[in-house]
Amino acid sequence: MITEVDFLRPAWLALMPLAILPLWARSTEAIAYPDVGWLPEDRLGRLIGLALRVLSALAIAAVVLALAAPGRPQSMALRTGRGAEVLLLIDRSRSMDERMLPSDWRELSPYDIRHQTESRGPVKSQAARKLLGEFVARRPDDRFAVSFFSASTLHVVPFTQHDEVVQAGITAGGVHRGLSETDVGRALISSVARFENRAYTGSRIILLVSDGGARLDEDTRLAIRAGFERQRVALYWIYLKGFGRPDLEQAGEASEAIPEVALHRFFETLPTPYRAYQAESPEDLAAAVEDVGRQQNHPLDFEELIPRQDYSRHIIVTALLLVATLLAAGRWQLRSLR
Amino acid sequence: MSPTHDFHYRVGARVGGFRPGAHAGLAFGAGDDFVTHATLFARPDPRRIDLRASLRDPRGEWLVRLARQRSHIPVFALIDVSASMGFGTPTRKLDLAADFVAALGRAATAAGDPLSLSAFDDAERPELRLAPSRQPALVAQYAEQLRTAECRSAGHGGLIDALAPLAGRQAQVFLVSDFHRHDAELDTALDLLGRARVTPIVIWSPSETEPPAGDGLLRLRDLENGRLRELWLRPELRRRWRSAVAERRRALDLRFQARGIRAFYMSDPFVGDALTRHFLEGA
Repeated sequence: MITEVDFLRPAWLALMPLAILPLWARSTEAIAYPDVGWLPEDRLGRLIGLALRVLSALAIAAVVLALAAPGRPQSMALRTGRGAEVLLLIDRSRSMDERMLPSDWRELSPYDIRHQTESRGPVKSQAARKLLGEFVARRPDDRFAVSFFSASTLHVVPFTQHDEVVQAGITAGGVHRGLSETDVGRALISSVARFENRAYTGSRIILLVSDGGARLDEDTRLAIRAGFERQRVALYWIYLKGFGRPDLEQAGEASEAIPEVALHRFFETLPTPYRAYQAESPEDLAAAVEDVGRQQNHPLDFEELIPRQDYSRHIIVTALLLVATLLAAGRWQLRSLR
Repeated sequence: MSPTHDFHYRVGARVGGFRPGAHAGLAFGAGDDFVTHATLFARPDPRRIDLRASLRDPRGEWLVRLARQRSHIPVFALIDVSASMGFGTPTRKLDLAADFVAALGRAATAAGDPLSLSAFDDAERPELRLAPSRQPALVAQYAEQLRTAECRSAGHGGLIDALAPLAGRQAQVFLVSDFHRHDAELDTALDLLGRARVTPIVIWSPSETEPPAGDGLLRLRDLENGRLRELWLRPELRRRWRSAVAERRRALDLRFQARGIRAFYMSDPFVGDALTRHFLEGA
């Protein structure tokens, strides 16, 4: 930790000699007296007077110091965390505003499910955001980044360990409704690129939260594969399976036509670890998030940029306290010889 | 100007000089203060022939009564106008001195003595000097001048200069001052005034002798050298304050007593009767 101090406005320090004034000034507020020599010496009075003068000097010094705005300069600190660098890549498309199956869907009759889902089930994006928020809160050692994507990708929060920023980023995803397009390919390419030029300090994860797939063309597939290989990023796909949406594990050549299945199959060919979680209800989603949490737990070294910290507020408070003390002491000062 | 300021002074010893006045003198002359008989031959003043004494005289000479006349004495007042005399609100110590001077003017007129006044601080103050005079109006004017005078300079070096015309003369001298920090000068001055009758008028303002009533921090700045004294006023310190004042007064008294002088202590207001009593009791 660097403990040096810098000043935003060092020119104000030129006023510092003013602080000597209270120690010098002899006649301020003193009552004239013909001959102090014949009065008794009073050590207590001298001490109190000296203390008051030192306090006034300190108060002036504090004000001058506060005007010069001291602070700890911007610095880099090496931190060690346990856990991974997790990029939350969250689908922001309109389909995410649909509802999931309600928790008790297994007891419902097949005829009711559709209506029940449309009326009772939790909204996908809300449930996902809530769970991801809890996930982030449970893992203080991980570093998170947050991106949303629909037609293009919005990088909301860069990699950081500051939970509140991440939480705010996740909450921001709930503003207004989603767009209609979903371009998973572009989102993945730009998300992988965010790992570029960063020291490899621990396992890297892209946590893709989405409810739909896409067929990717060959160029996109190549770019994604190359990116994942170069950056050594693991991919976790939490597939929010809506009612009546295809199952990822459908077998058969024909199911290649379904975008979700095609995407799943492409992901399986990636050189880096890949896992898919199908979540139909909030419970499934919670289990999936839990599982990701268990997967990644390695120590992680990283450098953090600590912004400049301004001390002037503390110093102003000190100065105020000193001045208040002096004012209070002024109450005890006799103003005349009567 | 209040009549209560009026007082009368009295010179204890016989005064020299031939000019008639109000005080018992040494010179022979017209008076009822019988001294001795002399022969008419030696004192050819037939008005004073004492028949009864002449008849008793074994040598049969005509004898004449000799008496001492009453003479005047020059009166001087030296007023300290140094910075410490500017102390006191609303009445400065110098205002008290002015009260005294005005009353002295009336007293000197009543006694028929010429009064000269001069003021000093670090040097003699020539603008505040009054040549020997018997005119009460001039003295009253001088007193008004004192009331507006500035007390700016520290020190009492001018005392010796102001005394110079008095040195070795017989006179009644009033030293009007607060006698703060008169050390070397005071002794020299009293030496110079060996033949004069000195009455020190010590003016101390009540607010300098009596500590303030409230408790708290008291910051005092010396009027003459600017030094600072900080006191945390409390009953114990108030007691020490009073004893320091008493101690100072005792020391000053001892110093004057060594020369057979009694000081008159004056506070606010100036009471002329007290000064009259001081002279009546005086040595």
